[in-house]
Amino acid sequence: MRSLFRAFREEVSGSLRDPGALLVLVGAISLYAFFYPTPYRREVLKEIPVAVVDLDRTPLSRQLVRLADAHELVRVAARAGSLAEAEALVRDGTAGGVLGIPEGFEREVKRGAPATVGVLADATYFLVYRQVLTGLAESVGTLSAGIEIRRLTAQGMPEEKARAFRDPVPLVSRPLFNPAEGYATYVVPPVLILILQQTLLIGIGLRGPADLGRLGSGPLLARAAASVTGRTLAFVALYLVHALFYFGVVARLFGFPVRGSAAAAAGLVLPFLLATSFLGLALSVLFRRREAAIQTLLFTSLPAIFLAGFSWPPSALPGWLRVASQAIPSTSAIPALLRVNQAGASLAHVRHELALLWGLAAVFFVLAVLAQAGRERAARRQ
Amino acid sequence: MASRHALVLLVFLPLAGFSLATAIFWNRLPEELPVAVVDADRSLLSRRLVRMLDAAKSMRVAGPYATSGEALDEVLAGRAYGIVSVPRHFERDVKRGAAPKVVLHYDALTMIPGSILKRDVRAVVGTLSAGVEIQARRALGETPDVAGARFEPVRSLRGALFNPGLDYRAFLLPAVLATLLSIFVLVAGVHALGVELRDGTAAEWLASGGSATRAVLGKLLPQALWFTAVGLAALAFPLRFLDVPLRGSASLVALATLLLVLGYQAVALLLVAGSANLRFASSAAAFYGGPAFAFTGITFPTFGMPLAAQLWGALLPLTHFLALLLAQAMRGAPASASLSPLGALLAFVLVLPPLALWRMRRLMSDPAYWGRT
Repeated sequence: MRSLFRAFREEVSGSLRDPGALLVLVGAISLYAFFYPTPYRREVLKEIPVAVVDLDRTPLSRQLVRLADAHELVRVAARAGSLAEAEALVRDGTAGGVLGIPEGFEREVKRGAPATVGVLADATYFLVYRQVLTGLAESVGTLSAGIEIRRLTAQGMPEEKARAFRDPVPLVSRPLFNPAEGYATYVVPPVLILILQQTLLIGIGLRGPADLGRLGSGPLLARAAASVTGRTLAFVALYLVHALFYFGVVARLFGFPVRGSAAAAAGLVLPFLLATSFLGLALSVLFRRREAAIQTLLFTSLPAIFLAGFSWPPSALPGWLRVASQAIPSTSAIPALLRVNQAGASLAHVRHELALLWGLAAVFFVLAVLAQAGRERAARRQ
Repeated sequence: MASRHALVLLVFLPLAGFSLATAIFWNRLPEELPVAVVDADRSLLSRRLVRMLDAAKSMRVAGPYATSGEALDEVLAGRAYGIVSVPRHFERDVKRGAAPKVVLHYDALTMIPGSILKRDVRAVVGTLSAGVEIQARRALGETPDVAGARFEPVRSLRGALFNPGLDYRAFLLPAVLATLLSIFVLVAGVHALGVELRDGTAAEWLASGGSATRAVLGKLLPQALWFTAVGLAALAFPLRFLDVPLRGSASLVALATLLLVLGYQAVALLLVAGSANLRFASSAAAFYGGPAFAFTGITFPTFGMPLAAQLWGALLPLTHFLALLLAQAMRGAPASASLSPLGALLAFVLVLPPLALWRMRRLMSDPAYWGRT
């Protein structure tokens, strides 16, 4: 027990005298929190330029163009003489989509025949595609509803009834947990959790493995266990403050929904940080030089994001990869913490992830102890 | 020992990273996304709606659940991406023309499944609604032809330009591979240059090259060729085996890949020359290369970003490379549309090295700058 507290004290005082590690373990936490979200500050992509091909040039076609221009997601930025010309505008990046109105459009509508307009969106960039298609299709829908309701009321149907008649099974779509469907609200909270994991892994790698010789002369495994536990206490204490800063301060500062209970979040964060710290200590014996931790772990952030389920559904991953990815703490911590913090889930809802994180903590603890002890033995032999 | 670490940075990690990214996007599109259904009506019509939802390729119906609370539990436990609620007296109200609302609550914390559900539930309910309207029109005495023609006076024919299958993989995988490449080039470049200062071997390094420029080029050029070859192989694999398109010029993409590699080497040189400290230069490389993906405009387009983020993005060779890659690969854009990203990439390669070499010369010959960690 005494060696455990000694390991804790030495980690605290050692870290404080280590500017390189402090830069990662403390500096990066606040730097990233304000740097990373800057691209998404506007949250929703609006007013995307689209090209219009109006071959009809009638009052009705002009009305449709006005409706599209008035839609908040798109704006009419160019007019083209042909579909090919409009496609070229999309190809060189000037426009994100095309509204194509064929010749005879108004005539068809007046005749009572269904008229079709072309709605094309650039699927090179998915957010552009989604917003343009939604904006243009809704504009067409508004025009169509107006025409049909006018026809029905002309036949003597009351307007209210006509509205119900033309869409007898209306659908109402409501986003859950992210009411404005903001992009920052979607992408920043999970990335903050990933930043906790990555800076902790790299920071521990920079600190390096412990010198167990300083912890007295007890059995090797006991000293290794005391060192791993004591140092982890220091890291987890620091990172609990970081987690509080991210979920309590940064989330509110950026206006992300916070629905969950702090107790449930803490119940998840604790095994997440324990697992990450033990993993970091187990990996630290692999890094012969301090900077090796940064060099080898830097690339893992991007794959870890896509394995965490919020951007790419786990069901789309190959089966072996879905299983293997569970060894990374963020794979279960990110979806579980998002549901607890932003959707208000209880620990019972995330019990599967919770059990997994405690399991990882136990396994990585054993690995860290064995790794530190093995390194000490090798060092003594030299 | 040093060569083993170099082997890890040059060979092992890049191969691991590229394989992992390719494995993540091995499957084209998520299918059979679970959606929880609360059917408070349990009528012929409501059951037909549930069957239609289940038949859609993108989703699978879970439930039905008796209450919306139970369905919400499924979403909170991560077992469903949305809830479709059918109200009580749904069938009766549809027949009365009271237009009862079907409600979809979709998980907006997961962007791709949420938007797929939103699109496809809308399509299914729209089909049902159109069918009911046509029946009602026929009940008013319209012939099937007339009813079919009148139910939606203006229809939109929707199309996806340049990616008709809406393949997320074709758009994400090449971008992720290029991002990983940029990180590997940056880290390996910083290491190769910085390790000589750290270990105090810069004098021999300088002597072996004859001049600072030649010594630096001697380190970086072999890496440039290697990373260009590995990067092109990583980008070519999905083209060959995963139906990722390359509609434009392959040689333009290859040239841009070489410039991307050289551009990140130029940045590596600048970081080492600026800090004379391998660990600090590695930290700076982490800050520069780590969050870059967010600033490239791939997921959230550049024109929607605030100016500061646009400027930072412009300072990353990756941004220009990805603009060129998507324009060439997906859109098959004319070469003229890719000249400005090509010029930006070239600027990194031409402008940064002279600045950095000027200082590097001094670092390599003055022992005061060696051994810093």
